[in-house]
Amino acid sequence: MASIPRIEMRDIKKSFGKIQSLRGVNLELYPGEVLGLVGDNGAGKSTLMKVLSGVHIPDSGTMKFEGQPIQLNSPKDAKKHQIETIFQDLALCDTLDVASNLYLGREPVHFFNQLIDQKKMHEQAKTELDRLGVTIPSTYVTVENLSGGQRQSVAIARAVIYSPKVLIMDEPTAALGVKEVRMVLELIQRVKRTGVSVILITHRLRDLFEVCDRITVLYEGRIIDNRPISDFTMESLVASITAENEEVHS
Amino acid sequence: MIGLKQEAAPRKGYSSGKQTHDPLQHWIAKNKQIVGIFSVLVVLSLYFSLFSNAFATTGNVLNLLQQLAANLIVCVAMTLVITTSGIDLSVGSILSLASALIAVLLKAGLTSFEAFLVVLLVGAVVGLVNGVVIAYLRIPPFIVTLASMIYIQGLALLITGGYSISINGSAWLNAIGQGRFLNIPVAALIALFVVVFGWVVLTQTKFGTYIIGIGSNEESVRRAGVAIKKIKMLTYMFSGIAASFAGIVLATRLGSGSSNVGTGFEMDVIAAVVLGGTSLFGGIGTMLGSVFGVFLIGVIDNGLTLMNVSPYIIQIVQGTVLLVAVIVNTYFFSGRGVKRK
Repeated sequence: MASIPRIEMRDIKKSFGKIQSLRGVNLELYPGEVLGLVGDNGAGKSTLMKVLSGVHIPDSGTMKFEGQPIQLNSPKDAKKHQIETIFQDLALCDTLDVASNLYLGREPVHFFNQLIDQKKMHEQAKTELDRLGVTIPSTYVTVENLSGGQRQSVAIARAVIYSPKVLIMDEPTAALGVKEVRMVLELIQRVKRTGVSVILITHRLRDLFEVCDRITVLYEGRIIDNRPISDFTMESLVASITAENEEVHS
Repeated sequence: MIGLKQEAAPRKGYSSGKQTHDPLQHWIAKNKQIVGIFSVLVVLSLYFSLFSNAFATTGNVLNLLQQLAANLIVCVAMTLVITTSGIDLSVGSILSLASALIAVLLKAGLTSFEAFLVVLLVGAVVGLVNGVVIAYLRIPPFIVTLASMIYIQGLALLITGGYSISINGSAWLNAIGQGRFLNIPVAALIALFVVVFGWVVLTQTKFGTYIIGIGSNEESVRRAGVAIKKIKMLTYMFSGIAASFAGIVLATRLGSGSSNVGTGFEMDVIAAVVLGGTSLFGGIGTMLGSVFGVFLIGVIDNGLTLMNVSPYIIQIVQGTVLLVAVIVNTYFFSGRGVKRK
């Protein structure tokens, strides 16, 4: 890990009214690394990731991208730095079709750039979904008619097709069946091999041991643990998340 | 693209290669309501043709087209507004103001062209104010446009003193409301153009996709990096322009401007849009459906009038049809009207 961190967050603070969601968080993320971000409900995982994806603007603190200071004032800024996020709520538009959701905000255009090139958009969508091994009856189907796994797949595909440098996944496997979880984990490993840095938020601790290189534990808005995955056992990880600082494993 | 190596062949059961896309099949699946309302329209038209000799005549149909032109123009804008999950109650008042204003301006000595432009500009400004307050100050559209509806109506009354004012415009201006081209009302041709324009905007442009997206999941569109406030603002501005243009169409057809021609107009338009299958919850909008909605309300009025039915009863019929149509759409055609969010 001698290289410059791809992402470096320093002393990030964020409050919502009287609730201090982040109380000074430091976080580094290296190229090609899968970082597991864990913590109990309300520990601030999602808030931290929303700061990194430009959805929330931090009250204080600094961020660097590949050594350069950056400011993320909107989701657009994050995308400019190739930081892509898959939100827990998937952020799909139910009444738009699969292709429109995949290319939302970045639709291919023709006819003096005034009209969406529907044919091209649907062809591209189909190609990308096939390449990722995602099974969808048709890219013309509206998202509301898809199953939970298919919706998750569309959300992941949307982030991955823009060749991100950083991919944030907030509970990507929460509502999935066994087979679909496999697909997501395989996908993370494939993405990692291409040099993408992945931040994975999940409550499924077993997933972490399969794909992560390092684990960072948040507790009440602070980072209380940050070690390579090889340092953890399932028991010590659980102990860390619940903030039992004394060593539990004998 | 990410440049992943294609590892192994696609798993069993995973479709790959060409997808079959039958546009008609997808269209019908998405637009069952339109098929429904179109059927009702056809049945009613047949009924009126059988029971009234005057209904299915060229004269009556062309007259109906001319009468409905203003509604069609505004229903295009209203479809866009409602698809964003908004509403514009001020269109009736803007229509009244436009109708009154063009008469007043012509009387004051402006040329037809100047008056025409000023009226459209005023409509745009009113729509822009609605849009800014709704999108940027985040006040609910219902309240914002209700307020506009009241103050714009007041403004219309103020400039006319409540009287009708006859219009003495150039030939081209009068032609907007009264002219015929190859015997087809010019107003209807303009309306057709606006409808096609609206359809292209809603279904073929980024702007339209974002309108549907905003109605479906606003936050998701925002996170995709789209300037949703601007989109919303422009939608209400378009609505203001469309309403003021419809006011000119109406005023030139009647040959006079009046501050109360638009009373209740917004309700007719909203009813037509909802009848057509556009969801008041947003996210689902259909231009064609709205057009059929306008025609359905228009045909009921026209047909029953020709059968000498009391106007009071006509109103009862229209309201009942609306209620039944919305219930049928909600429970039998879409399953969507029952709230998703």
